[in-house]
Amino acid sequence: MSAAAQIDDLSFSHSGADLPALERVSLLVPAGESIALLGPSGAGKTTLLTLLDGRLRGWRGRVSVLGASLDPDQPPPRVRRPDTGFVFQEFALVERSSVLRNVLNGRLGRMSPLRALLGSPTSHDLEIARRALSDCDISDLAERRADSLSGGQRQRVAIARCLAQEPRLILADEPVSNLDPARAGEILSLLTGAARVRGATALFSSHQPDLARRFAQRIVGMRGGRIVFDVPTSELNEDATAELYREAEPMPGSGLRVVS
Amino acid sequence: MRFRRFGSFATSALIAGAILWSFATTDVELSRLMSAGPRIADFLGRMFPPDPTVVAEIKKGSAETLRIAILGSLGAVILSVPLGILASETMVSPALYRPVRMLLAFIRAIPLILVAMLMVGAVGLGPLPGIIAVAFHATGMLAKFYAEAIDGVSRAPIAALESAGAGPLARLRYAIWPQMAPVVARDTIFRFELNLRESLILGIVGAGGIGFYIQTYVRSFQYDKAASVTIAVVVMVIAIEAINVALRRRFA
Repeated sequence: MSAAAQIDDLSFSHSGADLPALERVSLLVPAGESIALLGPSGAGKTTLLTLLDGRLRGWRGRVSVLGASLDPDQPPPRVRRPDTGFVFQEFALVERSSVLRNVLNGRLGRMSPLRALLGSPTSHDLEIARRALSDCDISDLAERRADSLSGGQRQRVAIARCLAQEPRLILADEPVSNLDPARAGEILSLLTGAARVRGATALFSSHQPDLARRFAQRIVGMRGGRIVFDVPTSELNEDATAELYREAEPMPGSGLRVVS
Repeated sequence: MRFRRFGSFATSALIAGAILWSFATTDVELSRLMSAGPRIADFLGRMFPPDPTVVAEIKKGSAETLRIAILGSLGAVILSVPLGILASETMVSPALYRPVRMLLAFIRAIPLILVAMLMVGAVGLGPLPGIIAVAFHATGMLAKFYAEAIDGVSRAPIAALESAGAGPLARLRYAIWPQMAPVVARDTIFRFELNLRESLILGIVGAGGIGFYIQTYVRSFQYDKAASVTIAVVVMVIAIEAINVALRRRFA
């Protein structure tokens, strides 16, 4: 089994925080599967995904993504960045740009810097952007401005932008937390389906166990910056899930705190 | 708590003291106001009817004021783009943006009319000192606005483009600029309107424009002509305001 990402003994603290955001995490992300990161708010899911995307500095441990090791002090080289796609929790669209422009922004890393700056996508870039739009079922919205769309449509644009990168690893941070249950199912089905068709690995975080079970082949449970379990979906039991969401025991001298 | 009560007492005392001081030390002869009625009536009488023969001067003067405002605004935009970037937290380090912001605050603190007088001394009479003065004075505000526009941009789309592998210039063009463009347009139009209003009086100190005629006619007691020019100024300000409202809607 080849790995899309491998993490060994990873620890990380946000500057100024008294508790680590990630503590001694080791994880193997098998290539070509859909994996869910399950856990309550503050478990370290976003931090872990941000790290795999090469946007976190100052961690300790060993991390390799798609066969190349990450440097804790430097962003990955530009040519490798499009291989890892990221779907942001709050969509992170350029609001005043059109849907097509937003999706083409996903191509910027695949273009030469000059072409990227001149804003002249090749017919190949346009073709890939159009296919991403049609895969996300939003071809008819191409000319609409992002700020005129509904939440579900915006999430589709965010996914289309990610697909336009032609990523081999898709990281999605709570891709359905802002959507109603019906929309949430559609979006996760779209995301994991598009990854499967492209032979890409999908790693998405969620705090909804039923959705994780429906769309992931493997489920990784996180709590308090640690990995609590890492099992095939068929082996996930209710007790483990319940344990993940049990209320924190009050610790002497520590107030209530939220780590994002 | 006690300290705060003392603080509010001190504030009141300070305001009362300032007012009393002004009354006590200003030569306010209220009797002069009593006898002013007939004089004001006489003054207004001499303004009416406004003399329509100065149309040529009005045209020449307002065209020059308009040119001063346009070229002065252009100069301010050219100066404000680099200074705005250098004054923004997002683009440069505190060691750079702090002194640049102080410089801009200093520029803002100098009244336009004072800059214009200095410029007349430096480059002589005419519209040129007016243009330079407007460009300099407006930069203090416009560069600050541009810096705030850059700093007000949402960070998430920038991170998204970075994640996709876009370089810094591509991020500036596709994530930062689309967000700040309407703010820049709105602020620039606003500043242009201010520039036009403020440059109406520049002629009084010899820095060109329609103010020159107001000055000339008032000094030579031709109040009917001064009245015509005043009406022209009011019409111009109202027209510019209307145009700006329309432009702002366009950039919303």
